[in-house]
Amino acid sequence: MSSDDVSSLPSKKVSRKPIYSRFTQQELPACKPILTPALVIGILICLAIIFIPIGLLALSASENVVEVVDRYDDACIPSTNQKVGFIKDPATNKTCIRSLTVPKKMRKPIYVYYQLDNFYQNHRRYVKSRSDRQLWSPKSESSTNLCDPEGQTGDGKPIVPCGLIAWSLFNDTYALSKNDAALQINKKDIAWRSDRTHKFGPNVYPKNFQNGPLIGGGKLDENIPLSQQEDLMVWMRTAALPTFRKLYGKIETDLEANERITVTIQNNYNTYSFNGKKKLVISTATWIGGKNDFIGRMYMAIGGTSLVLAVIFSLLYVFKPRPLGDPSYLSWNKNPQ
Amino acid sequence: MGIDVDLLHKIKGVIECPSPDKDIRRFDANMRLFPPFLDNDVFPLTIKNTLLQSCYLRNTEWACGVAVYTGNQTKLGMCRGIPEPKLTAVDAMIDKLTGAIFVFQIVVVIVLGIAGNVWKDTEGRKLWYVRYPKEGPWYELLVIPLRFELLCSIMIPISIKVSLDLVKSLYAKFIDWDDQMVDPETGIRSNATNTAISEDLGQVEYILTDKTGTLTENKMIFKRCCISGRFYGNENGDALTDAQLLNAVSTGSADVIQFLKVMAICNTVIPVRSKSGTISYKALSQDEEALVCAAARLRMVFENKNGNILDINFNASPIRYEVLDTLEFTSDRKRMSVVVRDCQSGEIFLLSKGADETILPLTYSGQQVRTFAEAVEQYAQMGLRTLCLAWRKLEEDEYNEWASMFKEANSTLVDREWRVAEVCQRLEHDFEILGVAAIEDRLQDGVPETIETLRKAGINFWMLTGDKMNTAIQIALSCNFVSPEPKGQLLIIDGKTEDEVCRSLERVLLTTRITESEPKDVAFVVDGWALEIALKHYRKPFTELAILSRTAICCRVTPSQKAQLVELLKLCDYRTLAIGDGGNDVRMIQQADIGVGISGREGLQAARAADYSIGKFRFLKRLILVHGRYSYNRTAFLSQYSFYKSLLICFIQIFSSFISGVSGTSLFNSVSLMAYNVFYTSVPVLVSVLDKDLSERTVMQHPQILFYCQAGRLLNPSTFAGWFGRSLFHAIVVFVITIHSYAFEKSEMEEVAMVALSGCIWLQAFVVALETNSFTILQHLAIWGNLVGFYVINWIVSAIPATGMYTIMFRLCKQPSYWITMILIVATGMGPVLALKYLRYTYRSSKINILQQAERLGGPILSLGIIEPQSRSSLDKDLAPLSITQPKNRTSVYEPLLSESPSATRRSIGPAQRFDFFQSQPPLASTHTRKDN
Repeated sequence: MSSDDVSSLPSKKVSRKPIYSRFTQQELPACKPILTPALVIGILICLAIIFIPIGLLALSASENVVEVVDRYDDACIPSTNQKVGFIKDPATNKTCIRSLTVPKKMRKPIYVYYQLDNFYQNHRRYVKSRSDRQLWSPKSESSTNLCDPEGQTGDGKPIVPCGLIAWSLFNDTYALSKNDAALQINKKDIAWRSDRTHKFGPNVYPKNFQNGPLIGGGKLDENIPLSQQEDLMVWMRTAALPTFRKLYGKIETDLEANERITVTIQNNYNTYSFNGKKKLVISTATWIGGKNDFIGRMYMAIGGTSLVLAVIFSLLYVFKPRPLGDPSYLSWNKNPQ
Repeated sequence: MGIDVDLLHKIKGVIECPSPDKDIRRFDANMRLFPPFLDNDVFPLTIKNTLLQSCYLRNTEWACGVAVYTGNQTKLGMCRGIPEPKLTAVDAMIDKLTGAIFVFQIVVVIVLGIAGNVWKDTEGRKLWYVRYPKEGPWYELLVIPLRFELLCSIMIPISIKVSLDLVKSLYAKFIDWDDQMVDPETGIRSNATNTAISEDLGQVEYILTDKTGTLTENKMIFKRCCISGRFYGNENGDALTDAQLLNAVSTGSADVIQFLKVMAICNTVIPVRSKSGTISYKALSQDEEALVCAAARLRMVFENKNGNILDINFNASPIRYEVLDTLEFTSDRKRMSVVVRDCQSGEIFLLSKGADETILPLTYSGQQVRTFAEAVEQYAQMGLRTLCLAWRKLEEDEYNEWASMFKEANSTLVDREWRVAEVCQRLEHDFEILGVAAIEDRLQDGVPETIETLRKAGINFWMLTGDKMNTAIQIALSCNFVSPEPKGQLLIIDGKTEDEVCRSLERVLLTTRITESEPKDVAFVVDGWALEIALKHYRKPFTELAILSRTAICCRVTPSQKAQLVELLKLCDYRTLAIGDGGNDVRMIQQADIGVGISGREGLQAARAADYSIGKFRFLKRLILVHGRYSYNRTAFLSQYSFYKSLLICFIQIFSSFISGVSGTSLFNSVSLMAYNVFYTSVPVLVSVLDKDLSERTVMQHPQILFYCQAGRLLNPSTFAGWFGRSLFHAIVVFVITIHSYAFEKSEMEEVAMVALSGCIWLQAFVVALETNSFTILQHLAIWGNLVGFYVINWIVSAIPATGMYTIMFRLCKQPSYWITMILIVATGMGPVLALKYLRYTYRSSKINILQQAERLGGPILSLGIIEPQSRSSLDKDLAPLSITQPKNRTSVYEPLLSESPSATRRSIGPAQRFDFFQSQPPLASTHTRKDN
């Protein structure tokens, strides 16, 4: 039946909408690509050509990052069996001095991170235990219902900032010195700008914080509004992985190779009860971020695999050709011999 | 009974009738009229006195009656049955898979719940900053499993139901809109009443079809004849325009004139003269109408019937006959006769017409009947209905003697039919055969091609008709239903008693089993009576036969028997499609998995009850091969993809729980999770309703490809396992790459979550793109537009300070490492999939792939396997009895394809033998083919 027959019917003409008819007849012009050897091998070669250089770039960027990592949790505690007791005792002197060598020249800005291992900031009980409303607005001071068990003091007063995250604030401090001259660590602008302007209120001051029977981590100066408590902001950007680094501060001068840096650590934070590690990291950054070989290696691997596959497929194509769309492969076309 | 019409309403009486049942062949009731009208006698009422619901009065303007049953208690109403809600095979499979996923989910929840509790007690309590209470409430053990249950609840995609409903209604719309399924004569469009079962169309295994009005046009036309040994109409296929016959008529050949007289007189037709003077004929039997019309065209015009007086006009000279007796047609006698007196000469004639087997043996000794038998044979081969016409001159005495016997027989009360038949037989002998008339019950356009194509597609056809066996067989032959003799074989099951039927059935079954190893087209034929006995007492052997035989013809079956047969096939786990046009098909249409109604001459009853209504039988091909197949393919992709995307995000959640102390933390925030199912992933897959793996042309040329749908090759546990594995692999890729490239100082929760989510969205887009066979502009819009939409939505959300995601997306988009990570995820996730698909596509290609390649590359395939157009005209012209035989080499059509079939698991009975046969067969097939050809 030709379409002319159809359109000659009066009843049809009305219902026929020319704009949509190709759609209604399922006859929209379509591109029908098929996986020909040329296409697939071409794609693989393109992948290889793109991925290997990017991989090299990423690797070299990562290679250019100079990183000094110093694990101090073991060294900064007397080798007794009473590690937890030691760290929990407020009276003990927890000052600890470490000495680091700069392996290569480090250009400013140099970032100082603390790294915690085996610390589950992403634990369900932990990650939920905060009140964003309370952090932003003094009016919402009492909205602490998510903050259990650190929402209110024993006599029912709201804690600001409430919740387990704030309560467990990291409180080790580092003081750096180079050749007996103090190396300034700039702790300004270490938190996200959006946190300073939109998450932590300029009129919200800490209240009743760390006043309970159980002391968690660091304390906060009750005279400084939350919008300036950048350590808290950094800490409260919870990490998704149990191993994470958080920015402690920035060094605004270059460090030369083989320079010795002395770090004075106040080792206050308890990671001993759960076998967590504490590390001090001093690192530069490139366009790719900190030191991370993973992306570069993966790119190289994918590019290389693509190349190998392209070669294999080409060889297969040459030595074991199989014509596409050969009707003799259709069983119903196979004639009885 | 001679009662005045005015008095009718004063009649008082009682009808004693049985309670409503569905047997339309029986109505055993009594009527008792009260005085004064008639004596208090009992009148037996039978089915002959009844008018069934939805019957049409013909040749009668009115009839008086009493409504005995009404509404749903009528015979037809009882036959109709209650339609069950229909569930497609695809839906059933999706439900099964959903169940499997549910079990998997429970297992995951239990395992992770236990692991979580163990971790909590061994490690978790050491974490002072988590502050686990020393003594928890009693339900503490349940908290972590319930958390995981919440996390895993997205594993079962709720959106699948919505998406499926949406696309299904679009499938139905495509059927409604299809311009190629509009009846050119009436302009009636195809219509999908049931919008939910389009996929089933692609999985049909059995088609049960009505005959009259469905396969045929229900219009009889006189086509050929053989008069005293001469064939007319053989050259041009139409006797009415055959010059020789016209010549014979005008020269007044005695044989021909006598033949025409019988055609015009020997019937129960009533001529009706309209005001304009044209004569139309009202006939009970379409055959008679065809004969009378043909006679009129050959100048033997039957003009008027006045009581017993018939006026005929031949070549403008009137002839008048008086009908003395009519020896009615019964299905046992298979002939009818009239006794007429020529009003001019006073001579009495017996004119007869009937089936060859009842007329030819009754000739006077000495007449050669061989030519007639050959003519009958030849016409039957062409699928024409044949009638033999004969006559005899009666002597006055002979007639008078017989007439009194006939009267007596007609008034007997006991065994009247038998007595009458016996008396008739005394008159009907010593015939002189005049000739054979061949009538065509015209097949609808395209019926043989449609049936052949669908049979090639692996669909089995059963014909269920209320018609006589011979007619049914003839039609079956002419529309490629069964192949003629050497290749095809008809096995008839008949018998009146249980024993006969049993023997017959066993014989047929045995033959079928034996011939199964031959490339023979075996069909069995059964009539209503035998069928009832077989279904009642020999259900098991009959079921076996039903499975073994690809073709069946059931004649003289009632509506409820039609439905029973559908039920029988459904019980064997076959997908059935019933197609019909009349009220008697309604039950079967409702019973079948798919009911298709033809909006034809018998009204719209069937079309209304059906799931699909089409204008012509030939649209069935397009309905199944195009709409059904595409629907199945699209749904198969859409449903599995829905599972894939849900599993993907769920796996990432599960993996992330391993790095969060098995505590049940959700990596993604609730907004992302909700939007993931509703916005990000549902749009691209919805446009898969436009996807076409093969062009319609290719599918029509290679209907065998439907096998992939029938056997459920595109949606079954193993394909699902592939998608399951893919989602697991992609989840690993996304998760591992995310946590490694966003490690250490970058491992902020919201950022990591967003990187993982973007990774999923990117992969989704490429998965859909890879699985799409044909890209229209809409597909590009949906796939790539959705990716852009994802960023737009997230930028908007990231601009709202109150959300947890504030500024996240802006921060990420500024980082080069974010984009590098995305590219890495896509390449790592899609590379292996692409390579595997390429290898399978090239070195383990499915038939669909081969056809795709051929289609796109324009290979030689398009010239092969094209169905030879086999139009009615070529059939008419071609006299050779082999004209209907299939083109060569069709025998091996089904075997290799089926031998690869994994579908055996799906069938409950008999598949093993069936497939064994096919596997062991090819060498055998070849030898036989050569012999046969």
